[in-house]
Amino acid sequence: MKLQKRTFGSLLLIALLLLLAACGGGTKDEGTAPVKESTGGTDKPEEVTDQKITIFQSKVEISDQLEALAKEYTAETGVEVEVWGTTGDDYFQQLQIRLNSNQGPSIFSLQHVLEAEKLKSYVYDLSSEEYVSYIAPGMELKIDDKIVGVPYGVEGFGLVYNKDLVKPEDVADYASFVKTMEKFNAEGINGLGLAKDAYFLIGHISNYPFSIQPDHYAFIDKLTSGEVTMADTKEFQEFGDFMETIKNNTPSPLDVTYDKEIGDFAAGKSAMIHQGNWAYGMLSEFDFDFEVGMLPFPLLGNDKMAVGVGNNWAINGTKDEAEVKAANDFLNWMSTSEIGHRYIVEEFGFVPALTNIDAGDLDPLSQDVLDASNKGQTIPWAQNYFPANIVPNDFTPAAQEFFLSKDMTGKELIDKLDDAWKNAVK
Amino acid sequence: MKKGNTGWYLLFTAPLLVIFTTVVIIPFIIGIYYSFFEWDGIAANPKVFVGVDNFLRLFDDARFLKSTWITTLFTILAVISVNIVGLTAAVLVTSKLRIANAARTMIFMPYLIGGLILGYIWQFIFLDVFTLIGSITGLDGLFFNWLMDMDYALYAMVFVFTWQMAGYVMIIYIAGIQGIPNDVIEAAKIDGATGWQRFKKITVPLLMPAFTISLFLTLSSAFKIYDVNLSLTGGGPANSTEMFAMNIYNEIFGYGNYGFGQAKAIIFFFVVAAITLTQVYITKKREVEM
Repeated sequence: MKLQKRTFGSLLLIALLLLLAACGGGTKDEGTAPVKESTGGTDKPEEVTDQKITIFQSKVEISDQLEALAKEYTAETGVEVEVWGTTGDDYFQQLQIRLNSNQGPSIFSLQHVLEAEKLKSYVYDLSSEEYVSYIAPGMELKIDDKIVGVPYGVEGFGLVYNKDLVKPEDVADYASFVKTMEKFNAEGINGLGLAKDAYFLIGHISNYPFSIQPDHYAFIDKLTSGEVTMADTKEFQEFGDFMETIKNNTPSPLDVTYDKEIGDFAAGKSAMIHQGNWAYGMLSEFDFDFEVGMLPFPLLGNDKMAVGVGNNWAINGTKDEAEVKAANDFLNWMSTSEIGHRYIVEEFGFVPALTNIDAGDLDPLSQDVLDASNKGQTIPWAQNYFPANIVPNDFTPAAQEFFLSKDMTGKELIDKLDDAWKNAVK
Repeated sequence: MKKGNTGWYLLFTAPLLVIFTTVVIIPFIIGIYYSFFEWDGIAANPKVFVGVDNFLRLFDDARFLKSTWITTLFTILAVISVNIVGLTAAVLVTSKLRIANAARTMIFMPYLIGGLILGYIWQFIFLDVFTLIGSITGLDGLFFNWLMDMDYALYAMVFVFTWQMAGYVMIIYIAGIQGIPNDVIEAAKIDGATGWQRFKKITVPLLMPAFTISLFLTLSSAFKIYDVNLSLTGGGPANSTEMFAMNIYNEIFGYGNYGFGQAKAIIFFFVVAAITLTQVYITKKREVEM
């Protein structure tokens, strides 16, 4: 009996200790979160808090710059901003995991309306916020008439080309494209560089046959319900031919990283790369002595640039009121202050989607995107309406197989993509 | 064991029990519960009860069945190569080799590097070093980027996994070899047994307990491998190295099928348990008492 009593006693002690430890952590968190205190000494009239906000976003290219922006914000207001890192590829999965375990960030990015729909119970309604009124018409992220996301900026992708090597008329349609690729292949230059990462291998480039449909929403719905197949659609048939030409005339993109893709282009080893205006940020870190520009991908003679909103800032509405307010303050500051504007345009290199920002001097790629956008020479980003995660999960393995098997034709690639689509929507 | 010590034992076991219960037992039970639902993992979205449908659907999932085959093949190759390399290394470093101590440290070292980092290091080796050697020596039939070949990528995985695990099983074998009493070996020597005979008739039977442990460890960790898989090949190219654990992760977080993915995970648990228990049962029976 005595033994049992002692056993029981020690167990109880342990349980108590654990409980205390757990509670200790809990109360500390709750203690710091909502407390506001105004510190004297700063010359800012606004209330200074020790509120902390966290940002989780998928655009790897701007992580360093965003952290710098966060530091400037902290210096100005005293609100601590923590930026979480990601590699970008499994961002949305990471986001879901964090949200599910109640460890979500206060601000996160959403690519498109399908992601927003999925996280409907988390996104905060921004409609009544001041900065939302500056969003360029049609560019806001909406669910049921509620604005839930502020665009990062508009972006465009296409054939980024070296003006010394390529002239626009060289890649105006399929025939001229084939000729150009074969010419470069003979000269030992990579005609069109892709990279092995999901979006740079197949994600962006596979947009075109969807985007040049008269109504890509209707087409995608039909594809999902099985009314049409890619193999039976002429846009895809020619896309298959394009991919086959690329494969036969360029080194395998599966050995090429994003960095190498840009580096080779800057070194003049590639005449063109399939990239977006965001690539200029890295490109400008290299020394190169030629002019660059962006051309539309000439699928069926297409002469319009693919322009869209790649990412939107959203607020986690499940956080406590103080944190939501702090997050709102941050987005407001970023969208309206001079420092915020400077970062969006100069540091992030975005083509602004807010009307209160002067685009100023843009880099050449962004300028081409803005010109196309101003002239209305654009096709939409169909990928924003793709089934979630289809690019890394289904399209990429199909594209890898295509680039690895020497005798796989473009037509077989399209069949694989059809299978991939069926698998993603099953 | 003295009776008075029970309290102390409990004091040290209880925290472990609490942790084990909260991070293993309870999630496992919740996992079984989820496997009967169709659910996309968003707390606010509906969970639809589908009974055992998720388990039946497994047999229609070609990609899952393919990953079953890949995992099995990988496990067989990995268990063989890890144990051969580990045992050879153990025999070598327990002999009167001059560099025995240095070799022991070097071989064990890779195990101290995390699987993720290890994968990235080898990714670099395969991509840059291998292709470089290939182009210099002209042996590009052997030295090319293994990771970008649908057949060789699996061998690359086996290679890296062996490199990682061999040092660890070597330590176990060393302990086993050092536990073999010298007088038995000496008696055999006096009787005129050759080195190979001594190894086969004395070392191997007396090493059976070490085999049990090493095989169990390699078998279960090869089956459950995820980190090296993720960093080295990411399941590619074209899903040719997508193992069990990665397939389950992709099902749950890639496609957002929490219920279906959980069903896979439960099956996975039973497969791993069944195989490793069978192996332990078989090798245990062959252990000899001194």
